[in-house]
Amino acid sequence: MIEVRNLSKIFPDGTQALSEVSVSIPEGDFVAIIGLSGAGKSTFLRTLNRLIEPTSGQVVVKGVEVTRLSRRELQAFRRKVGFIFQQFNLVQRLTVLENVLHGRLGYLPAWKGLLGLYREEDTAIALEQIRRVGLQGKEKARADQLSGGQQQRVAIARALAQEPELILADEPMASLDPRLSDVILGILKEYNEERGVTVLVNIHVLELARRYARRILAFNRGRLVFDGPVEALTPEVERMVYAGNLEAL
Amino acid sequence: MSWVLFLSGMLLAGILGLSRGSVRRYVVAGALGLLGAIPAFPLVHAVGYLSRESLGPTLLALIPFAPHLVLVPLGGVLALGLAHWGGRAAGFGGVLGGGMGFLSLMAFLQGPGHLVALRPLLGLMEGLVGLALLLPFLALAWLRRRQAWLWLPLGVALGLGAFSWLNSPQGHTYFPRMAGYYKLVLPAEPGAEEALVARFNQGLEELNQVRKEIGLPPLKPIQNLSDLKEGRLPQEVAQAGYRLLRPEALSYGAVALLLFLGFMVGSGLWLLRHPDLAEASDLRSGLVLAGVALSVFPAFDATEFDLGKLVEGWPFLVNFLDRAWPPNLAQPQSGIYPLQSVASEMLLTVEIALVGTLLAALFALPTSFLAARNLTFRNPVLRVFFYLMRTFYNVDRGVDTLILALILVAAVGLGPFAGVLAMAIHSIADLGKLYSEAIENVDKGPIEALESVGASGSNVLRWAILPQVLPLFVSYTLYRFEINFRVSIVLGLVGAGGIGFFIKGAMDAGHYDQMVIGIIAIVLVVNLIDFASSWLRSRLV
Repeated sequence: MIEVRNLSKIFPDGTQALSEVSVSIPEGDFVAIIGLSGAGKSTFLRTLNRLIEPTSGQVVVKGVEVTRLSRRELQAFRRKVGFIFQQFNLVQRLTVLENVLHGRLGYLPAWKGLLGLYREEDTAIALEQIRRVGLQGKEKARADQLSGGQQQRVAIARALAQEPELILADEPMASLDPRLSDVILGILKEYNEERGVTVLVNIHVLELARRYARRILAFNRGRLVFDGPVEALTPEVERMVYAGNLEAL
Repeated sequence: MSWVLFLSGMLLAGILGLSRGSVRRYVVAGALGLLGAIPAFPLVHAVGYLSRESLGPTLLALIPFAPHLVLVPLGGVLALGLAHWGGRAAGFGGVLGGGMGFLSLMAFLQGPGHLVALRPLLGLMEGLVGLALLLPFLALAWLRRRQAWLWLPLGVALGLGAFSWLNSPQGHTYFPRMAGYYKLVLPAEPGAEEALVARFNQGLEELNQVRKEIGLPPLKPIQNLSDLKEGRLPQEVAQAGYRLLRPEALSYGAVALLLFLGFMVGSGLWLLRHPDLAEASDLRSGLVLAGVALSVFPAFDATEFDLGKLVEGWPFLVNFLDRAWPPNLAQPQSGIYPLQSVASEMLLTVEIALVGTLLAALFALPTSFLAARNLTFRNPVLRVFFYLMRTFYNVDRGVDTLILALILVAAVGLGPFAGVLAMAIHSIADLGKLYSEAIENVDKGPIEALESVGASGSNVLRWAILPQVLPLFVSYTLYRFEINFRVSIVLGLVGAGGIGFFIKGAMDAGHYDQMVIGIIAIVLVVNLIDFASSWLRSRLV
């Protein structure tokens, strides 16, 4: 259960990225967030785990008021939230296994993390997630030796190794070959159905949003302009979502 | 000589014009250079009795004495004005301005020597410098109008302070020595010259008597002061504020002016034939060219650049090489083994560089994280450390290894230890700055990713930043080792041991045939280390 109330974000340069967004997402939902680039999709996702600090408003996840957490508490909260980035954000010089193990750092005391003293169960979880994304045999390969699609799968494995209760994915396919979209979204969908974990995905390809999501959120110039099931996304709504913003492209 | 300089300027303009770029900028550059040199460069020499009394008046200072010289700056202004007009007029301006300036200048330079009176312009330079100090603060106040309340009073206070400091009785001693810069040159009152000539001829008999006794040829009576040539003014005349102006003794200002004038005429002629060789940005590029030329002339003069001396000294070089070859590798009968000495001293040099670089890297590694902007700016305490570290680096970078070594030799005595310490201290700054810049330039993606999994700050540092920067750190350290090896060669010269010490010793003792072994060894090892290090670095990144 995610509760967002009156969430706003104004960047230091004066850009209003989010204005007064309120939405409530039930547990286990698969939500696609659509809108033009610059509409506020990415900012919305990042304010949910405070990679970006909101200017005002509240975010409550499973009864925890995220916007009020201290630094320590935020770290503890974040280990249960998997975040997948458009640019993968892997540490290029480390191996696949080391990158996936980073997902377990939140569960270790800081000094053990510094020395890389992972427990056996951490390694087991990491290996399992590498298998899940279909990269078994590549554990010892360096991240920069992999293709883009493989790198994004490593990044997903890292997020899944967190054993997340919420997955946030920011345009996970945007820098990949379009044919890989089904692989990426397939993994997320499978995890969502298997574990009942809520998934929020930013997508700019409408057709993919229709195919995978149960629910759609649409942003236009920082405002939430549509919130409803996939079936309610009529051509009229589409026009509204993509209206009047072409110069921003 | 004057003609040669003028024609060289023309020739240079002609060659540059061949490239078919804008020629008008050369006219502009010549005119601007001319106008800059007129008030700033000493034109000719003027001598008194003592050598420290000789001075070099600028063309501007000479105008009261020779008013026709005003044609030179007028020529520059004319050329600039017509260059602004553009087309054939610009070429005409270059030829006319350069031509009339040249004629006026030649009339002065070919003229006879004269007795001149000096009128000091008290406080002029001091005042100008005070104003110049004020200017940057005024500019700051204007650029950052929001902070004008800070900069403006600060600028006025500092400017006034500098002004009064420099205008105090000792004010002129805070300047670089500039012969005759703040003195106006006036003609001496009529009759003074004739009196001086008559006095010289009167005393000539007595002087020739003395010269005969010490075996010098007698001097002839003189017609005017130019005939004095190498002579000087009598002491009391010089002390009364007179100097003997000698137009035939060119200072670098005359060289610059003649070259600029020739350059103006040459490029003007080009422009007359091809009036279309002009561009909108000519004023700016002319300013840059003139600025470079104006800074180079005094520099050549100050460094006493003289190829003639090299020609004169050539036989000494040949003699030196003769004595250095063949190298004296070993002299068993007298128990001297130079090759062995070179080998051990070279080893020591490498070892100094190794230890110095290692120590520097050890200190730079932790401090560079404190000196990285991106790691320290979220926390006010760390920000203080950031500024402290950066200040330390900047001060340390300014104090060269050799200077540190001189100080440390005084503290810990002659020997490699002083050299190692000096090298380590100086290299910390260089490495620390490189390291911290590497940290500032890391890919931010992994940092964001590790923050999003809930890793603590130290873990983000360890897993997102360190893997990215470590190869760069190693590469920079290797590069610094290359530099430090070359530095440690020179360190020997100040007594810190190593191959430099050997070379200095052999040089001082005149054992050139031993010294040459050291030089060959340096060439070999420098190349070997550079090659190995760049090969290693290319493997790292």
